[in-house]
Amino acid sequence: MSALVENWPALLAGLGTTLLVLVTSAVGALVLGTLVVVARVSPVPVLRAAAFGYVQVLVNVPLLALLLLAVFALPDAGLLAPLTLTAIIVLTVYEAAYVAEALRSGINTVPRGQVEASRALGFTLSQTLRLVVVPQAARAVVQPLGNVLIALLMNTALAATVGVVELTSAVNKVNLVQAEPIPIFGAAGLVYMALALVIGLGAGRIEKRVAIRR
Amino acid sequence: MSRTLRRRSTIAASLALVASLGLAACGGSDSGSSAVPPSASGGGEDALQSVYDAAPVADAAALLSDSTMAAIKERGVLRVAAALDAPLLSQQDPSNPDDIQGFDIDLAKMLAIYIIGEPNIEVVPPASETREALLTNGTVDVVFNTYTITEERAQQIEFAGPYFVSGLAVAVPSDNTDISGIDDLGGKTVIVGANTPAVTAVPEQQPTAEVVSFATDPQCVQALTQGRGDAYVQDYTLLAADAQSNAGIKVVGQPFTQEAYGIGLPPDDQDFKDFVNDWLEQIYADGSWAAVFDATLGTVGDGSTPEPPTIGSVPGS
Repeated sequence: MSALVENWPALLAGLGTTLLVLVTSAVGALVLGTLVVVARVSPVPVLRAAAFGYVQVLVNVPLLALLLLAVFALPDAGLLAPLTLTAIIVLTVYEAAYVAEALRSGINTVPRGQVEASRALGFTLSQTLRLVVVPQAARAVVQPLGNVLIALLMNTALAATVGVVELTSAVNKVNLVQAEPIPIFGAAGLVYMALALVIGLGAGRIEKRVAIRR
Repeated sequence: MSRTLRRRSTIAASLALVASLGLAACGGSDSGSSAVPPSASGGGEDALQSVYDAAPVADAAALLSDSTMAAIKERGVLRVAAALDAPLLSQQDPSNPDDIQGFDIDLAKMLAIYIIGEPNIEVVPPASETREALLTNGTVDVVFNTYTITEERAQQIEFAGPYFVSGLAVAVPSDNTDISGIDDLGGKTVIVGANTPAVTAVPEQQPTAEVVSFATDPQCVQALTQGRGDAYVQDYTLLAADAQSNAGIKVVGQPFTQEAYGIGLPPDDQDFKDFVNDWLEQIYADGSWAAVFDATLGTVGDGSTPEPPTIGSVPGS
């Protein structure tokens, strides 16, 4: 335990980076994922195909491969971004595909008749989506989105492999000196669990609050 | 609202996309560096067969009953924690997974011959951070993994040796003329391998340097050639191998630390430690340690063979 106490500034800085990566890429993934799913269900065939391709590619390529590509292949193409920024962008783009799929399952819960009804009432496509479909779809998928965010939290640990000093990387460094892997990694695991619990419980509360009582 | 595309085209499209990404990935990682150093010409690993043939075998009396070494002989295979991706030390041939070559692995085979009479080893690739746990819980018998002897580690496990002394050195891109050693790294961005001694040694020597760590040696070399850092600090022999296979980097200055590598052994097993130290003394004395060095680490660097380190000369050993 003393290993953890002595090194708390480094560990806290690592946790801070984990939270920074988590929050920025979560916000980014929610926004980008919503845009993708709107394109996915739009009546424009090109947009639909593009959104479909986006989701298929990102869901079927391992995140580690994407991270390594972004960090080591993009510089050869002349794009050299800071490591943390690169990791945030890759996580955003990757998780947006999962957010889009979660939202799409919500959209499929909205009965087709409601869309036809709103069209009959003279709603534009944008109005139909904003006022009828997305609000109901989002309520249905609060808990699945919470799971996507928990997966995102766990995925931030992969950023350690490409030089981002987040929590996993910070505990690695402490362990390198202290050589007590079980308490050190156990403690890090508990921190990840606590964060996941916060996200999970938060999603549960939000779900209850926004539930539609029919 | 949504329309499903036909399944066949879906699969074809995703396959095509993944394939193109996969190809891009290969292109990206191959262009900069290779993990596999050029094979040693002349001498090299083939010359080691005679060393194996003449390798010492322990007397039956040395295998004390109920001891760790007797259990290993009974089992017929020595379980070794060793890397699969360390050029010249412990490198697996990607096309032939059974073929692992390098200084660490050759010594592990010699130890297997000493105990069992045959070079039977089973390699468990450890993460650097789990080596103590692998020894403590009995997953492996020994660790040959550029395992630097430290007093913190020695509180949890035993170290035989040291069996090799190396040090950290500095590599820079070939066109860099400002940096000629560790003293010039103040305020610079320094690339290190994750879980290597450089992670702590660089801040000790140069507190103002910014340290960036990557998981593997090829990644570090790639990052250096792409300009993610000004210098790369790593074990001198590894850097020499990298610089030999990649014209884009060069090693500057001399090693600035002394890293004594030990053989990790299970905790509280003085008999096994004495037994392995006896074996080290024998291969130091009969020249087989030097033969293994010449065939592996000795193929890079200035060509001279160092004196083997003195057993027990480092705190923690």
